[in-house]
Amino acid sequence: MTINNQATKQKIEKGENIIVIEDMNKWYGNFHVLKDINLTVKKGERIVVCGPSGSGKSTMIRCINRLEVFQQGSLIVNGVPMIDDVKNIESIRREVGMVFQHFNLFPHLTILENLTLGPIWVQKKPKEEAEATAMKYLERVKIPDQALKFPGQLSGGQQQRVAIARSLCMAPEIMLFDEPTSALDPEMIKEVLDVMIELADEEGMTMICVTHEMGFAKTVADRVIFMDGGEIVEENTPHEFFDKPETDRLQLFLSQII
Amino acid sequence: MNMKEFIAKPAKPAPSSAVGPVAWMRENLFSSILNTACTVVFVAFLVSIIPALFDWFFWSANFAGATQAACVGDGACWVFTKAWFQQLMYGSYTDGELWRVNICVISLFAVIYAATKLPKDYRNKIAIPLFLVLPFIWIIILNGKLLGLEHVSTDYWGGFALNVLMAAASIIVAFPLSFLWALGRRSEMPFARTVCVILIEFFRGVPVLALFFMGSVMLPLFFPEGTNVDKLIRVWIVLILFMSGYMAEVFRGGFQAIPQGQYEAADSIGLSYWQKNLLIILPQNIKISMPNILATFIMLFKNTTFLLIIGIFEILSTTQAALTNSNWLGGHSTEGYVFVALLFWICCFSMSMISNSIERKLETSHRN
Ligand SMILES: Nc1ncnc2c1ncn2[C@@H]1O[C@H](COP(=O)(O)OP(=O)(O)OP(=O)(O)O)[C@@H](O)[C@H]1O
Ligand SMILES: [Mg+2]
Repeated sequence: MTINNQATKQKIEKGENIIVIEDMNKWYGNFHVLKDINLTVKKGERIVVCGPSGSGKSTMIRCINRLEVFQQGSLIVNGVPMIDDVKNIESIRREVGMVFQHFNLFPHLTILENLTLGPIWVQKKPKEEAEATAMKYLERVKIPDQALKFPGQLSGGQQQRVAIARSLCMAPEIMLFDEPTSALDPEMIKEVLDVMIELADEEGMTMICVTHEMGFAKTVADRVIFMDGGEIVEENTPHEFFDKPETDRLQLFLSQII
Repeated sequence: MNMKEFIAKPAKPAPSSAVGPVAWMRENLFSSILNTACTVVFVAFLVSIIPALFDWFFWSANFAGATQAACVGDGACWVFTKAWFQQLMYGSYTDGELWRVNICVISLFAVIYAATKLPKDYRNKIAIPLFLVLPFIWIIILNGKLLGLEHVSTDYWGGFALNVLMAAASIIVAFPLSFLWALGRRSEMPFARTVCVILIEFFRGVPVLALFFMGSVMLPLFFPEGTNVDKLIRVWIVLILFMSGYMAEVFRGGFQAIPQGQYEAADSIGLSYWQKNLLIILPQNIKISMPNILATFIMLFKNTTFLLIIGIFEILSTTQAALTNSNWLGGHSTEGYVFVALLFWICCFSMSMISNSIERKLETSHRN
């Protein structure tokens, strides 16, 4: 399956910028984690971020919904500048869904309650409507029969699909994935990737995904970004990225993971 | 070829030395010389004390009768506790109105039971709010004025019921208050954090007796001039603050045990600070902290006997009053204090049993 067809490509090229990161710098104490990050993402674009451990991939995408704060530079998400104002932060978080490596479902709530919590409390939707939406997305990720169970009763792959559905219920413009499959057993990786591919394919969702699943990158990504030492070292279409890496660092990295 | 058919034989029982009471004793009581010596000394101690104890408690004890004249022999005279039972349990609360006290105590257990048995929706919408207003309902019922019942002034409230209700009323209010303090202590706002640290450390660091004296002397200074706040209310406030100091630290431990990912997931969904802490963090924190909360409550419950020192007729001061009553003079103090000790012990022991069973349940259910 390939979805990098001409039509979507053109749509993306003409499309508006949904994320604009300019000269973003971040320090942990004296440690310079993010160095002059510049990245523009268009609406509907699908971006895969890879790079060695500790290169700042998670930190970068976590800045986008302010799970981390940066000290220098600017970030605009869907037209809203990321500043200290609570209003801005709330409206950005409403547009950005996030899927974590360790799922982070709420263990004291049922699957259905996990999914309806945001719509009911943040979007103030009536309970029935929120539940109907939740069931729709549970069907989309193929586990409607687990709605009344608790997260602890599900397998890792099922939990991660619930986590994806939980984000989707908020109808975000952008989805961030931070190594969504790296805590999963090999046989569960595929079921999660399939859901993500479908999402990219059918919804045309803007996605930024930190992953080392190169098959996924080749199938889905419009652009692949390589980070090392807190910098974006190289970015390219998947084809060029894997076949003609320009920098030595990327060549070394690719030789190690493939 | 003639093959022998295989016939399964039942396994032989383990040799008698490996199982059964004899083996257990050998393993646990006589495994070494030191162990054997300890066992012998302990058994000798039990043998010497138990018959005498039973004799005092039951065989030579007096049960029948109503006055001190019924106390004969050298066993316990339970006639004493029988004669004073109402006083010990209810203090001097008006005779015909004791049902009001009973309703309060029963309502406490009924609401707790409902909270554990009701489905989640009803629990959150009915049982928990009801729980939080219980102390105020009790005050209205016990006082009686508002309901058109006979007015019973707090001077007459007392006995073991007062210990129970006072402890419960304190922890109920301390629950939300201490959670706020614990939240404040983690807050990024320096002012809120400083205030909460000072409150928590103060009420944990000062002995509860000193707090009671301060409560009687200092608290009135904070109230507007001319208002005369009831002594019992002042003591209640002191107990709430004291309990909150301890519980805030219990909750702090709970906060640390909740994985960072829970906060991040709540943030990424867009929940506000209060939604995040009340909907996601609080329920998980209570679950984690429940055994420690109960332990703290047991301590508070026992500390309610200190109220005797500032002249409130809880069970211990009622016992003392009974012991110095002119009709009962002369050596019933053992019975009196043993009775009080047993009452507290039964209550506290049941609570720690409950706490153990909660802990066991948590171990199996709190996965992920
Ligand atoms: N809270 C923190 N305080 C100090 N240093 C941190 C903190 N979080 C991350 N770091 C450091 O920042 C660097 C980048 O971390 P980050 O998690 O973004 O890496 P990553 O590229 O996602 O790595 P991985 O593939 O292992 O997830 C690492 O060197 C890490 O040690
Ligand atoms: Mg990472």
